Amino acid sequence: MKGMTSSLLRSASLAAVALVGSGLATTASAQDPYTVGVEASFPPWAYVESGEFKGIAIDAMNAIADEMGIEIEFQDMPFPSLIPALAAEKIDILATGLTVTEERSEAIDFTIPWWETNDVVLVPEDSEANVFTAVCCGARIGVQGGSSQQAWMEENVVNNDIDVELATYESYVTAVDDMAIGRISSVIVDDTSAQEYINAGKPIRMAGKIYIRAPLALAVSKGDPQDLLASLNQGITAIDESGQWQEIIEQYIPGITPPAIPGNMPDFVDTYNKPVAGLPELGNE
Amino acid sequence: MDIYSVLIRDFPFLLKGLGVAVILLVALLIIGFVLGMAICLVQLYGPRTRLVQWPLIMYERVFRGVPIIIMLFIFYYGVSGIYDISAFAAAILAMGLRSAAYQSQIFRSAFKSVPAGQMMAARAMGMSRLKAIRYIVFPQAARHAIGPWTNEFSSEIKETSLAYVIGVVELTRQAHYIITSTQGNVLLVFAVVALLYFILNRTGNSLLYALERKLAVPGFEK
Repeated sequence: MKGMTSSLLRSASLAAVALVGSGLATTASAQDPYTVGVEASFPPWAYVESGEFKGIAIDAMNAIADEMGIEIEFQDMPFPSLIPALAAEKIDILATGLTVTEERSEAIDFTIPWWETNDVVLVPEDSEANVFTAVCCGARIGVQGGSSQQAWMEENVVNNDIDVELATYESYVTAVDDMAIGRISSVIVDDTSAQEYINAGKPIRMAGKIYIRAPLALAVSKGDPQDLLASLNQGITAIDESGQWQEIIEQYIPGITPPAIPGNMPDFVDTYNKPVAGLPELGNE
Repeated sequence: MDIYSVLIRDFPFLLKGLGVAVILLVALLIIGFVLGMAICLVQLYGPRTRLVQWPLIMYERVFRGVPIIIMLFIFYYGVSGIYDISAFAAAILAMGLRSAAYQSQIFRSAFKSVPAGQMMAARAMGMSRLKAIRYIVFPQAARHAIGPWTNEFSSEIKETSLAYVIGVVELTRQAHYIITSTQGNVLLVFAVVALLYFILNRTGNSLLYALERKLAVPGFEK
């Protein structure tokens, strides 16, 4: 007993010292690859299959990194953690299906838009709701927490005294599954993801579209401390002109025509004011 | 490809996630053990001045009173202002320090359950305080501590799944990957994950109960 407890104590404290020594010393140096934050449960933009990162944002980001001549590594985080992580400079670039919003543009800096989405209202296949009845009159509507759809619904529906209840989910896949069970009556999601779910054979249909022309872009920390914005912008244009972008899109969403690059650039984003970093001929006056 | 083949194909990644969870668990339990034991010893046998005792009480109250998810965010984002801490290190630190608060109280009650006469007798035999704690009180307290400690072990296993909010890819996150890349199958994938957690939990607890039986003195206290 004596011998055992003392050796147990000794080995435990030794192990603790070793752990503190190895685990905590991960200071980043300038030569390290840039960390690209993604939400890897967001197909077709970013997801993991057999332990490998896949998706439009992943492939495109790799192509852009080649153009820029930089090394990158991907870091997966839940979506609500990504923007705080970028703001705190825990990651260098945010590359996922990230919608450009005014609120976000105050915390992070966006590249030129590389995609444009509209939202759709998803309802169960056998539901008779249309785009209006699906978002009123006591409906329980599912959105992803922290998403632009949640913000849009709060601003335009909930705050206008329309009798609906928002249910926030960690991921759209669980929201759609919850709708199939009947816990919520509809799900608001971007059109690209909606098409994915329908292609995957889920028992859902689109009740209608909400035309918001929301731009999607990459983002860097506010003030661009790593000086990446200009070359990211040039990289996006370069893969668009070389046709790599179109190939990547075709691979993940067959048959779709990608929106022009750069997409709709809202006035409220200060990095879209003339001159845009790396692309001085672009931008809002 | 049906979900069963996907599960078989991706099972190694679930095991990898389980491995991350186990490393996290072992590290946080070790930090919690060492620090928790130290806190307990100082609380019971250390100087009784407020200068020493109050910070320990504060520490224990704060770490037991704040949800672990908040602690994870504080350690990941808060500490990074001073030191560029990795997500994994932040998770180990936040959960380890919290476990220390819980473990200190487990140990304190175990030490307290040893009759005060034992210490007096040991001192009367000429043992130093340190020796008496080490050879008389500690071995008896250790036996009492194992039971409540299995609780701490079980609840910490389950809490490791929260580490993914700051980007630690452990078992639950690996399961999310399968769910999202196959667009569903929530029930089946989480059933497999639940089974993995259960096996880990049972294995650990069986070992702890075996230790408890091994340390038990026949005919004494039972």
